[in-house]
Amino acid sequence: MQFGSLRALDGLDVGVQSGVTGLVGANGSGKTTFMSIVLGLRPPTAGTVEVLGLDPSRHGSQLRALVGYGPERNVYPDEMPASDFVKHLAEVRGMPRTEARGRASDALWLVGLGEERFRPLGTMSTGQRQRVKLAQALAADPSLVLLDEPTDGLDPVQRDEMLVLIRQISTEYGIDVLLSSHLLEEVERICDHVVALDAGHLVAQGRLDVLIGHDEGVIVELIEIGDRPDALAEVIASVEGRGLEVRGDLGANRIEVLGTDADLIADAVRDAVADAHARVGRIVRRRRRLEDLFEGARR
Amino acid sequence: MSDAQILDRGYRRFEGSRSGLSGAVRSVAWHTTRSILGLGRKARHKVFPIIVLVVSFVPAIVFMALTVLIGDLLEGDLRPEYWEMFGFSFAATIVFVALVAPEAIVRDRRDGMFALYMSTPLARPSYLLAKVLAVMATMALIVVGPPVLFLIGYTFQSLGPESVLDWISVMGRILLAGLAICTVYTAVSLGVSSLTDRRAFASIAVVFVLLGASISARLLVDQAGFSDTWRILDPINGTLEIAPRLFGDRGDEFGDISTWLVVLGSSAWTAFGAALLVGRYRKLAAV
Repeated sequence: MQFGSLRALDGLDVGVQSGVTGLVGANGSGKTTFMSIVLGLRPPTAGTVEVLGLDPSRHGSQLRALVGYGPERNVYPDEMPASDFVKHLAEVRGMPRTEARGRASDALWLVGLGEERFRPLGTMSTGQRQRVKLAQALAADPSLVLLDEPTDGLDPVQRDEMLVLIRQISTEYGIDVLLSSHLLEEVERICDHVVALDAGHLVAQGRLDVLIGHDEGVIVELIEIGDRPDALAEVIASVEGRGLEVRGDLGANRIEVLGTDADLIADAVRDAVADAHARVGRIVRRRRRLEDLFEGARR
Repeated sequence: MSDAQILDRGYRRFEGSRSGLSGAVRSVAWHTTRSILGLGRKARHKVFPIIVLVVSFVPAIVFMALTVLIGDLLEGDLRPEYWEMFGFSFAATIVFVALVAPEAIVRDRRDGMFALYMSTPLARPSYLLAKVLAVMATMALIVVGPPVLFLIGYTFQSLGPESVLDWISVMGRILLAGLAICTVYTAVSLGVSSLTDRRAFASIAVVFVLLGASISARLLVDQAGFSDTWRILDPINGTLEIAPRLFGDRGDEFGDISTWLVVLGSSAWTAFGAALLVGRYRKLAAV
């Protein structure tokens, strides 16, 4: 996808499966451009796209009737009651008027705003508005829901509730979700699949449990000893001397020893700690995370 | 009383048919019309549209009342032509165009509705079509309503057209003139309003363009000695001139100007407004 001299997406070959798919990447990585192509709002400069069996650039209108969208922006008509807002958008997405009224109410109950559904949007909290956004995306019974940063502006409790809701609409109601987020942790929590973008390039894609979760060594945290200020450096040098990769720049007397042979790593760490007369505060398995995919791509 | 409660209302799949693009256009047009008229909104939003509506109908109602009370005396010049009703309500039309019509599109850009609409079956052209339909339909109440009321009043007083065919002909010309006037003013008001995200600025800009161009055209002809043809640049009087032309008449100031030039002037203003509108929305990011 080319905007003048800027290539927003480059050489992307992506297949998104059923379930919850996380579209991750930093700001400017091409997530929004990707979503606008999926919605048929921008044709790709080159290549082909197919969503729900339709070509978005040729059948955009038909496609968007089957897709719910929750934008990142959090500003809505302040005076409009939530139920009217959701009903109106359900009608625009093709629901008959009477059906839209009932479905708007159902969708607002589903997201936990049943009692609040007649309140004007302007009187609602950020968390409630995010729920209204989700409700309007669901009300017209979409086959696919696109959510752009759905937890933006939420406190930790609200964020957890929102993530549970998103997971629920996929598992209980069979609606596929494409979730755009720059927060890797929340994608790891609820997504089945991931598409990771970095500066318009595909970093990784596929099932989340295949891409991450493998043991990749250990994280060792040493207890600081006053008369052994060099203990950490000695441990690092000793482990590296055994041919293992160490990341020692993590702070708080913490290092990561990378490798796939668990026995070799355990022996190396044990011996290095003993030789340096250091003390181990904590040692845990290091599992591969989404962050590692990005770091791997940048190296 | 039973303690029974509905704990889970559930979420149902929809098996029926969807209304598609036409339904989306209809829904947005109706929603916009309600918004412009202040329906379903707080009372303060209804005040202005009601005032504009009332003001636009006052001349027609006054003439109807005079017809009922002293109909016999209203002969010759005292009895207005149907097309003159468009001129009588023009002040209300301008106020509507400047202060109410911008409501149709400015708010959507400010409150994020435009981006949401673009995620529905609507695309930019169909979205703009819905907005144009809503503004034109609402404006038609003000522009076409008074002459239609006037015609009906005359008809009941046996002062209207003599045959059914004449009546249909007059009604047709009223509707055609109203359509032309609404088209020009809708294009200009939406086009100019599309340039700003502030409704107040949009209103000022619309007034500035309409009155500014109207005054400039008059100055060119009356003060600077330009030919009468330059009056076609007047978006207010030039557009209103379409009405008498449809009734085989001519306004005083436009007597020497051909009908085609009058139509050309109005078409140019329509094209100007439409170009602004389309150009602005073509660049507007949807998501």
